[in-house]
Formats: sequence, structure tokens, C-alpha cells
Amino acid sequence: MCYFFAEHGFGALLRAAAEKYDIFGPAQREGRGVYTRLSSNGATFDTGPVRTVDPLKAFFFKPRECVADGFSAVPPLSENPPLCVVGVKACDLKGFRIQDFVFAGDEFRDPFYSRARNETLIISSDCTSALDTCFCEAFDDRPYPRGDFDLNLSPVDGGYVVEVGSEKGAALIASCPDVAQEATQGQTETRDRQRDEVSARVRQNLKDYRVPRHDELAGRVERHYDSLIWKDEAATCVECGACNTICPTCHCFFLYDQKNVARMARFRAWDSCLMKGFARVAGGANPRRELSERLRNRFEKKFSFFPKVTGEYACTGCGRCISACPGKIDIRRVMKRLAEHV
Amino acid sequence: MCSNGNPYRLIRTEVLEVTTETPTIKTFRLKPDEEVRFQAGQFIDLTVPGAGEAPFTPSSRASDTAEIAVSVMRVGRVTTQMHALSAGDIVGLRGPYGSAYPLDEFAGREILVVGGGCGFAPLRSLMYSLFDMSGQFKRLFFRGGCRKPGELLYRDEMKSWGEREDLDLLLTVDEGDETWDGRVGLVTAILEDVPMNFTEGVAIVCGPPIMMKFATQKVLAMGFQPESIFLSMEKNMSCGIGKCGHCRLGVYYCCKDGPVFRYSQIHDLPGIWE
Repeated sequence: MCYFFAEHGFGALLRAAAEKYDIFGPAQREGRGVYTRLSSNGATFDTGPVRTVDPLKAFFFKPRECVADGFSAVPPLSENPPLCVVGVKACDLKGFRIQDFVFAGDEFRDPFYSRARNETLIISSDCTSALDTCFCEAFDDRPYPRGDFDLNLSPVDGGYVVEVGSEKGAALIASCPDVAQEATQGQTETRDRQRDEVSARVRQNLKDYRVPRHDELAGRVERHYDSLIWKDEAATCVECGACNTICPTCHCFFLYDQKNVARMARFRAWDSCLMKGFARVAGGANPRRELSERLRNRFEKKFSFFPKVTGEYACTGCGRCISACPGKIDIRRVMKRLAEHV
Repeated sequence: MCSNGNPYRLIRTEVLEVTTETPTIKTFRLKPDEEVRFQAGQFIDLTVPGAGEAPFTPSSRASDTAEIAVSVMRVGRVTTQMHALSAGDIVGLRGPYGSAYPLDEFAGREILVVGGGCGFAPLRSLMYSLFDMSGQFKRLFFRGGCRKPGELLYRDEMKSWGEREDLDLLLTVDEGDETWDGRVGLVTAILEDVPMNFTEGVAIVCGPPIMMKFATQKVLAMGFQPESIFLSMEKNMSCGIGKCGHCRLGVYYCCKDGPVFRYSQIHDLPGIWE
């Protein structure tokens, strides 16, 4: 069953959530959504038409985090209240399939990531539009969430069709019995029609840019390992690492110590595989000395390593790296070249 | 080992003794506040507080759980700081991490251990494990080499190994001097006359990448099976738990799936010796 929340009713739901959570959602800045702390009255709330500029991963795998404090056995976990993130789009949720595998998928569970995953309330929402750079459908993903949310919002006239994805989400709805209504068939039909329209728009992007589908990429990085793709594409790379930091699936980090010998503290910060020293060992040997080798490594992780180890392409089709790259390196063009026969 | 739920947690560890082995290598005898149980081939991460962390494979006996020894070559930022440590100093320890040598699989077989330079450090730990299971394998050969006699690790200990009945040991140096009356030449030159059945045997290779490459090619040419050749691979291992991404080797992370690999696992991967 789906619920319908009128806009004012959804405001009441957010106020209920604000008793337990710090609420973040997309605020529109210069026409683009950026995750921002929302005021609890929810008056200015908008789910946003498409994905934000910044990736959702930053709430879970933080850009910089203290991971060890002295020799204490207790993990230095944050004492801040848990977060509720509203307006998350499907492409960001897909990032969880990679991030969960890395940080919560084996015997070395990361306590910082795992706690954020367990505690955070995700209120996702359908894309109501598509950017020119959107290509999630290439990976058989859709511009609307199909899982990994607590509640999902589909904007319809006067409010939202709300789908429950977890017990946590159900409990929040149960806390606002006066404002939750059952969605009508007309409302869910409107939602489905809107979803199909946005999906069709993303599929049109695939046609316009001739983006290959995921099944055309199987084994292609290996096939193109020594091809000119990497040198060609690396020609405009300035090693800024924007593609890594903005990517919902990139998970690499470096560990460094606070420069205070008397008070040992270890930090973890986002790293970029495009940086020259990324794979260099202490003696100076560097298996990826050339920038083209490092750029290849990025795509090898996305289109070869992760499909082999998890069965998932580590690309969500969000197009953030296309927008962020000052060298205009376009992942869709790389995909296109990979799919070409050699 | 995931100590109390935080895999980044450091165990306070005291430096008990520092021994200068060669002009660039020192051995550190360490006493962690908690017992650390490793198996030969696995590695630990050591932290010099304030300076950072680096991975090392212990060179001590795995069954000695109260103390751990590592032999450290001064090559980078952290190792330079380590060389400035002395007895009584405190460091941090994480681990052990990664794969170990499958000793059970070695039982009943002939074993050839090939070491180069600083590769003697992890191999010493393996040799102790093999000595402890003496009688369970057919024969044990150690063939080691380094550039100069002054760079030979554990030179006195090697002399006593030379007298063991359960070990056939031969060492070589690329360039001899007046202190050296042994073989001169590359380690690959002293492998062929090892009296064993190569196709049935086990070969273990550990050393600098260039030595690993040629020694592996050599043992393959001699007839060892790719699944019976064990390599200790060196990549930029940082987190030790397969998360930080730095030590990727094809579909593996060196820190988690290695550092000990069968050659058959990795021989199709591009750039393994780089």
C-alpha cells in the first residue's frame, strides 16, 4: 500500500522526524540542488527534480574522519544526532551497493560507515526531470528508487505518494496518523506515468549520446587494456580528483596522522586514484607512473573490478563526473570507445 | 583482526630492542600490549605516532606470540622515522592482515625457498615455521641472494642454518668482497642444480620486484607448477583491510587477498611486476 501526504502533512512528518534526526535535503542554489541542513518547519522544502551536485556518500563515508584516537579500543564515533536525508535520488542509492560492499561487506566492518548506515533515515524521491548528463538507464537502473530507502516520495498534485521501504520508515509514518492518507489509484497512476516519462527522457539521452548499455561493456576494459583510449582521454586530465570525490561509488581513502606526537590521532580522508603517488610504494616504485595508467585504473575499477567482485558496475549513471571534469573527460565517451570493436 | 569493532584501532606496542643489520636495515623487537597471533606470510601495520603507518611482514617465529620482530629497510617517510626509534619507544600496531603461506599444503613435499635482499625478513618467519614442522616435508632448500655481502640480512644466523641437517642452504651475492668466500652471481644462477623434483615441488619466492620477476620465470622454466609457486607481492598496502583501494592487483587487493599469492592466481593480470 502507498500513502498520500498532502504538502502540509509532509511538513508534519518532517517535524516528527526532526525530534530524532538532523534533517538534510536539497536546497536549490543557482539552479542546482545541494544537500543542506533544512529548518525543521519544512516550509521551503522541495525534493528537487534531479540528483544534487554533491554525492550522498559524504554522509556515510565522510570526506575526513577521525578513525583512531590514541590507543583507545573505543572507536571515536560522532556524538551528533542521527541524520535524515530527504530528496535522495535513485542514482545515489545505487552507490550504496558499492559502498556497502566495501565498508560493511566483510569481517572488517567499518564502524563509522556502518553506524551512519544503520542510523540514517533516507527519504528518497523520484526524479521529476533529467539532466542531459543523466544515463542511469544504461545500467538498467531507473530514475526512481526501487529499494534502499526508508520512505520514497513521488511528487503528485498537492503532495506526495509515499512508499514505505523499511520498518524505520513505517514507524515514522505511524507517528503521524492524522496526516497519512491512503494513496488513490489515480495518484499512483500519475506517479507511474511520471516515472515512465522521466525514464523515457533518460533513454532518449542514451540514444542522443549513443551511450552503450552495460552488457556491451563486459570484458571491454581488458580488451582495450593497451588501446589508445587511455592516452587520448588522459590528455586533458589535470589530476584534480573531482571525478573521484563527486562519484557515488568511489571509495578510496588515505590514512594520515595528526602532527602531534603527544596525542596520536589517525584520520581518514578521501583519496583520488588519479594522483601520481596513489599506488607508489615506499621505495619509489610506481605501478601507475603514467597518468593514462591511472585514468585506466579508474575505469578498470568501475567497469571490470567491481562487476567481477560484486556483480555491479561501479557507475550509477548520475553524470556528476561529466559535469565536474575541467578536462571535459566524458565517461559516456569512454564507454562508447570501450564498446567499439578492436 | 578486528579489535573491539574498530579495524583502525592501534595496539600500543613497546620497542624492546633495535638491532642494526645492514647499513639500511634495522630489526625491531616489539612487545604489543595485547597478544598478536600471526601466521608466516601475513603482515602487520606499524605506526610511528605522528609520522604515519607502513606495512611489514614479521621476521620472527609465528608461534612466539608475546613478541614480534620486523626488519625494516629505510626507504621512505615512515621507515626513516622508525630507524630513529630506540628501546623504550612506543609505536602502534594493527593486524595481522592478509594471506599466509599454506603450510599444510607443503607437508610431504619438497620445498624450494628463494629469497632476495630484504625478502629474507618475511622468509625468516616462514623458515622458522618450516623448521618447527621439520620431518613433515621431504626436503627443504633455501637459495638466497643479495647485492653485496654487507647487505646480507641475518648473516650470523644464516651460518647456523648452514649447519642444519633439515636444510640445504646456498647463498650468493651479485658482487663479492674480501669478507665473502661464497658464490657470486644472481640468485637465479643457483637454482637449477637444486636436487629435487620440480614438477611435484613447492617454490616460494620473496624479494624485490625485479628479483621476483626473474626468479619466478626461472622456477617456471624449471618445471614448477603455477599453483605451486607462492609469491609475496608488494603493492602500496595502506588500510590492510581491502577498503582504501591503493594496493589493487587485478581483481585482488594485495592486503586482503595477498600478500601471499599463488602464481596461478595472478599470472594473467597485467603489470604484476610493476
